Amino acid sequence: MLPFSYATRNLLRDPTRLIQKIGGAALVVFLVIAAASFDRGMKSVLSGSGSAENIILLGAGSEDSVERSQISTQVETQAAAGVRGIASQLGRPAVSGEVHYMGQLSIPGHEPAQALLRGVSPQAFSVHTKVEIIDGHFPNPGQVLVGRLAHLALDLDEEALLPGKSIRFEGQDFTVAGVFSAPGTVMESEVWFDRNDLMTLTQRDTLSCVVLRMQDSNGLSAADLFTKQRFDLELTALRESDYYAGLSRFYGPIRTMAWITALLISAGAVFGGINMLYAAFASRIREMATLQSIGFSRTALFISILQESLLATLAGTLLAAITALLFLDGQTIDFSLGTFQLALTGGVAAAGLITGISLGIIGTIPPALRCLKTALPTALRS
Amino acid sequence: MKRMIALLVLAYKQIVRHRVRSLLTVAGVTTGIFLYTAIQTMQQSIAEVTRSESGEDTLVVYRENRFCPTTSRLPEHYLAEIRRIPGVAEAVPIQIAVNNCGASLDVITFRGVPPENLLAYNPEIEVIEGSVTDWKERSDAALVGQQFARRRGLSPGDTFEAVGVRVWVAGIITSPLPQDNNVAYVHLPFLQQASRVGLGTVTQFNVRVENPDDKETVAASIDKLFAGDSAPTHTRPEKAFFAQTARDLLEMVGFTRWIGLGAVLAVLGLVANALLLAARGRVMESAILQTIGFPRSAVAFVMIWEGALLGAMGGLIGSLSASLFFRWQSFTLGNEGLTLALNPSLGATLTGLVVACILGIIASLWPAFVASTQPIVTSLRKT
Amino acid sequence: MTAPFITCRDLSKSYRKGRNIITPLEALDLDVPEGEFLALMGPSGSGKTTLLNLIAGIDRPSTGELRIGDTELTSLSRGQLTAWRATHCGYIFQLYHLVPVLSAFENVELPLLLDKSLTRRQRRDRVRQALDLVELADRADHRPTELSGGQEQRVAIARAVVSNPGLLVADEPTGDLDRKAADSILSLLRRLASEFGKTIVMVTHDAQAASAASRTLHLEKGQLIEKATMSPNPQPVSPSS
Repeated sequence: MLPFSYATRNLLRDPTRLIQKIGGAALVVFLVIAAASFDRGMKSVLSGSGSAENIILLGAGSEDSVERSQISTQVETQAAAGVRGIASQLGRPAVSGEVHYMGQLSIPGHEPAQALLRGVSPQAFSVHTKVEIIDGHFPNPGQVLVGRLAHLALDLDEEALLPGKSIRFEGQDFTVAGVFSAPGTVMESEVWFDRNDLMTLTQRDTLSCVVLRMQDSNGLSAADLFTKQRFDLELTALRESDYYAGLSRFYGPIRTMAWITALLISAGAVFGGINMLYAAFASRIREMATLQSIGFSRTALFISILQESLLATLAGTLLAAITALLFLDGQTIDFSLGTFQLALTGGVAAAGLITGISLGIIGTIPPALRCLKTALPTALRS
Repeated sequence: MKRMIALLVLAYKQIVRHRVRSLLTVAGVTTGIFLYTAIQTMQQSIAEVTRSESGEDTLVVYRENRFCPTTSRLPEHYLAEIRRIPGVAEAVPIQIAVNNCGASLDVITFRGVPPENLLAYNPEIEVIEGSVTDWKERSDAALVGQQFARRRGLSPGDTFEAVGVRVWVAGIITSPLPQDNNVAYVHLPFLQQASRVGLGTVTQFNVRVENPDDKETVAASIDKLFAGDSAPTHTRPEKAFFAQTARDLLEMVGFTRWIGLGAVLAVLGLVANALLLAARGRVMESAILQTIGFPRSAVAFVMIWEGALLGAMGGLIGSLSASLFFRWQSFTLGNEGLTLALNPSLGATLTGLVVACILGIIASLWPAFVASTQPIVTSLRKT
Repeated sequence: MTAPFITCRDLSKSYRKGRNIITPLEALDLDVPEGEFLALMGPSGSGKTTLLNLIAGIDRPSTGELRIGDTELTSLSRGQLTAWRATHCGYIFQLYHLVPVLSAFENVELPLLLDKSLTRRQRRDRVRQALDLVELADRADHRPTELSGGQEQRVAIARAVVSNPGLLVADEPTGDLDRKAADSILSLLRRLASEFGKTIVMVTHDAQAASAASRTLHLEKGQLIEKATMSPNPQPVSPSS
């Protein structure tokens, strides 16, 4: 085996080329990390938003988007009575009738912005167990409860939505009564109203959905039976997790576009890198042949070239990881569905690492083939 | 001129002789220009639907402060009053049902219109399969836009269900108005009932004005008329309406401009890198050329021609592939009930090609300088 | 009579160049006794470098037998040939072929890295011995770019002898050197043959370099022609057929 120092010293032979190698690898790995964290962030906020134990009853035909759904206000009480297996809290069934509405809110001195508004009753907390009020209290009429990340959806500073501040909706002012957290869910970028307030202002006498918390994750059949028994209500039942899975599929093409973009740019970088490696190793054909004539096997030479490549690409990977940590980690992306954060998780980091290693290996093969497959006599004269 | 051609031929030979390097460079340029052309296509598609033109004569009357069609509800009786406003040539009520208001590629949109009004309002609609008569006769019939039909594989006689609505395809239409090609037109009462908004309510009114120059005045008159009502309106030219409503979509496509810039820089770097490698590898050769009698400029021009050729090759493949890709795939982006078809255009394709050539030339300037300014004596001495 | 160290019988080499088949060596017979310093001369294209490469085990004959010491080279696999080279043959190139990123010491040490039985200290001692032999112990830490052509060639020779091979092959070892440096290299090679018993096969264009050898053979169109040489220590000359 050739000494490791041979590999390291060859790397340092041409500092400009080394910087190009590291830079190229860093670019590719950074792009993969960015695409992976975007993909993961969007998927996880959607999968985290829905619980398998919650069943949503909504209008038949509106399974793609609860905002389109309209169901009678009676459904809340009728479902509570007619569906078996509903969990209860303090003697009351965990049933929450809600209005979901995409509306425009404004703050004096700022541009109005769209956010998802939810009209709820206090029962919402018995159903959405991830939600916790971290500051203030449940809104009374004329008040709102804002999610911890709602300020991002509205393009405001966090201070603008602290308890006591005021926001305007449909020409009326509302006071922020409190802030809630619901980690890893889209609810954190919502603004919650008292249900009656929202229904009045949006001139509707129907709910968007009724959410039931079941005793276990097998509650769908009971809810489904209810919808079939009460055909007149024109309802559909689905698991909350399935609803969000459907939304995730809806946004799938956007995630695919992000990956394709990253891969296209990476492909360009990889082509450039291989080009460079070809040239770098072309000048070493004779050197490689000399080492073979001394008695080093092609395997030993290949391993040495591999060491060089991997050193450069792993250095690039580290650079990419540090850049991602500084500039990507924690960044929030505000999208139609809500807000999610980019996170450099283990999976994302692993994707970056695998990319770096693959680059090192891919980068080795073409120049290695070129250097080592030439017959010795010819190579010695090159 | 003859010498330039001779140098071009020499450049071409250099490219062909270093097959691997050239292939890798061209492959890299292809991916970069593919991306760039794809983004240009998106940007141009957006510009087409949002940039107001002077001849534009359509206004959209929407519920004030609303964006998603589910939330915009206007009384159907507004129609009669709108028609009475001076300057209004024609108006049609439209109910829109969409599967999701979010921005995505997978949006399904129905437009409910009074069957007798559709062709009167939009005479440029052309039925390419099926018939309008069939559509008028059946209450659950749909006239499906060409791109929508292609996306879903629909033909006249098919039935399909979406957005809680089950329709029968009466015909496939095409229209110069981009929105028409991505939606399914159904009967207004049918959609009002099927989507449960109830008869008497619509999402919007599309209004054609007599004189395009009077657009703003007519819009203001409409809004003033309903300002005090329970459903106040906001009326805008159609393109401005798109620009203000499909914000998520526009933001996303706007963001891709940066990616396009990145692609351009990547192509620049790639070609420059390849040519620098070439310059370094041809030190002896360049020195010999100069010894024979070629001036420095000739050595430089060979390199510049190489850059232009590499850029042109990659640019041609990349931009053509992107155009073919969009032609073959029929992408439509949707947001808030509005659709944006990504159609390849000659403009985007040519831009990709021209940009690639220019980038190739720019990228070759430094390597050309390096190649042509090497001192002859030291170059000849190097092994 | 002791068996020759190098035996070639009916040795031929052909290869394809484009659409043509080139045969630089055809049915060549050669015996080289152990410890002989043999020079191969001939015009360009005569096959001398081809013959050298075959003897050194870096190329394989198309037909014929090639025995070096106890080893029939034609029967070895590629891997076995590589391993054989490491311990049985030292190659000296015209352009030295030192690894630019390694010091003189490290260049000489390279062949010893293939012998896993040696400790670090043992390697170090042998490298020092080799550098002493070529009188460059004081330049051990210098990189090739810091050495003159003659010094580089001496480092290359040290590298070629450090694993104590029985055979040294040299391809135009003085081709790139001035007269003085060339003489010093040739004198070193003579010493390796006479004092250390190395069998040396050297290809050269230079008649003066060839005169340092104990026997000179000429190749023309792949065939051997012997021309007698005067040498200070005449070696037994094997008949060539």
